[in-house]
Amino acid sequence: MRIAVGPVLFDWGKRAIEEYYRRLAFESEADILYLGEVVCSKRLGLGPEELGRLARELAGSGKEVVFSTLGLVMNDGELERVRRVVALAGELGLKVEANDMAAIGLGEGQPMVAGPHINTYNPETLAFLATVGVVRVVLPVELSARAIAGVIGKRGDLPMERELFAYGHMPLTFSARCYTARAFELPKSNCQYKCGEFPEGLPTMTQDGSDFLLMNGIQTMSARVCNLVAETEEIQGLGVDIVRLSPRKERFREVVGLWRQRLDGRLDAVTAAAKLAELDPGTRFCNGYFHGRPGLEQVP
Amino acid sequence: MKKVEVLAPAGNLPSLKAAVASGADAVYFGFRNATNARNFEGLNFSEVEARQGIEHAHRHGARANIVLNTFPQVDDPTPWYRTVDLAAELRADALILANMALLRYARDRYPDLPLHLSVQASASNSAAIDFFQRHFGIERVILPRVLTIEEIRRLKETTSVELEVFAFGGLCVMAEGRCHLSSYVTGVSPNIEGVCSPARAVRFDQEGGLLKTRLGGVLIAQYGEGEDAAYPTICKGRFVAADRVYHVMEEPGSLNILEMLPEVIGAGVVSLKIEGRQRTKSYVATVTRVMREAVDAYYRLGAEGFRARPGWLKVLNATSEGTTHTLGTYQEAWQ
Repeated sequence: MRIAVGPVLFDWGKRAIEEYYRRLAFESEADILYLGEVVCSKRLGLGPEELGRLARELAGSGKEVVFSTLGLVMNDGELERVRRVVALAGELGLKVEANDMAAIGLGEGQPMVAGPHINTYNPETLAFLATVGVVRVVLPVELSARAIAGVIGKRGDLPMERELFAYGHMPLTFSARCYTARAFELPKSNCQYKCGEFPEGLPTMTQDGSDFLLMNGIQTMSARVCNLVAETEEIQGLGVDIVRLSPRKERFREVVGLWRQRLDGRLDAVTAAAKLAELDPGTRFCNGYFHGRPGLEQVP
Repeated sequence: MKKVEVLAPAGNLPSLKAAVASGADAVYFGFRNATNARNFEGLNFSEVEARQGIEHAHRHGARANIVLNTFPQVDDPTPWYRTVDLAAELRADALILANMALLRYARDRYPDLPLHLSVQASASNSAAIDFFQRHFGIERVILPRVLTIEEIRRLKETTSVELEVFAFGGLCVMAEGRCHLSSYVTGVSPNIEGVCSPARAVRFDQEGGLLKTRLGGVLIAQYGEGEDAAYPTICKGRFVAADRVYHVMEEPGSLNILEMLPEVIGAGVVSLKIEGRQRTKSYVATVTRVMREAVDAYYRLGAEGFRARPGWLKVLNATSEGTTHTLGTYQEAWQ
């Protein structure tokens, strides 16, 4: 199985994100890099111009570069942004990850990835999407192993690669409202770029003190980190081609390295899980969705 | 000028009749299974009731739309495809769909069946709507609650597809069809089971003088004496962020567009949808009657002369959770 690094979902700023991907491209064992802003059109991260430049720069690394697009497109400006990224991917001969049906519509006929925010809950939907250009699907995060098996069918049934979100804070939903701005009693229109102060989202706890969610602008994420490193054999058995590791701020190339060792059979499941936990003391992991349980649970 | 439609929810046959009697131009309902996103016990229609409901609506000059807005599940997709067949057979005025595979099937099999794109399909821009129009010939899109009135007005200029908006009722604050909050905590999902925050996962506990509401064991809110407790959905919960305890996403309350009715109609929408198939017959009757009066008043008085009557707001507030209302996302400041 190949390793994909998903788009950076946080607002780290242009330079930090570019540097992050440069190092992943030239100093990590990832196979695929997804670049581009998915959450908020106001962020000053990787816009169309930066994407083009960065893609050319990373081309020498041998990694596959894919452009990701916005998850929720609500107005002309956002639509235009998606249009430019889709067109640029076409010019550069890269796949584009659609996260809103706008991108599927604009990219029709181009090689596309149906991202985790496109609703792909059955094989008939994938069969239809294949007819408009989708060559890879990133399954919805809430699917169980059993549901995944049903959706992607047997290897060879679908002319499409299958990618599974396997590590990172899970994106759970989008809203028109910016919850990070709201936390500081600011409207979205004057958010003062508060997301920049929270490199892995604004922690949101229950009143009895347990970590629950992360507010990441208009996106809400799991506070727990999805981690399917102990399930890799089962994932492989399902016919998944690619695991997606979702960017985190610290020691992420080591995370990628541990996953590579695990996928190559150089680390057993228990050791890999322990080493990932060591990299990230204090983090609570979860794998509930994969086991047909509530997403926040950790099934031993 | 064609009048904007008042579209009322029906969780059962008595509610459907109440809606028609209260002046609804159209009603919408789903079947008693996971094929629609209000799959609650004791709710929704059998085939026989659906037939009676559609006949009743048609006899009284109202339209009836069938809801099929969840995603067919792999284990047994039959009920979803059967619902498409039924909608055509029963001569529903429209079938409301979210899934591309079902849209394909419905369009190929029943070229004359009007298709409305469900809010669960989360089509919030012209490129997405164009895509569904191009491939499936949808006549109408039900807009997710993520757009301002200004954005809706702009959208209308760029598409020939009819626009339907939510006018009153429970407020999803997330982009519909793309929310995993319920399944994250309970394992039950709107997209898969057609259920958000199922009652069986809810607990109300009295602890140390506080009423604590939990969903799937997660503390959603706690209330002191005299405070009204809301049903524990995550997006209306009270949590701790940035050193404050508050409704991190949204306060419990209802969406109510009456105060902006001229702007909403002026934006070019064709249908005002009342949420609440899970609510009582008396809710349906009350809200439909007020909405009917308000729309008629708008056409009588014009945009300039129209004012939301305090009496309407009072009656509507009394039906809604938290007894407050909001213009929600239609107003930019809300975002």
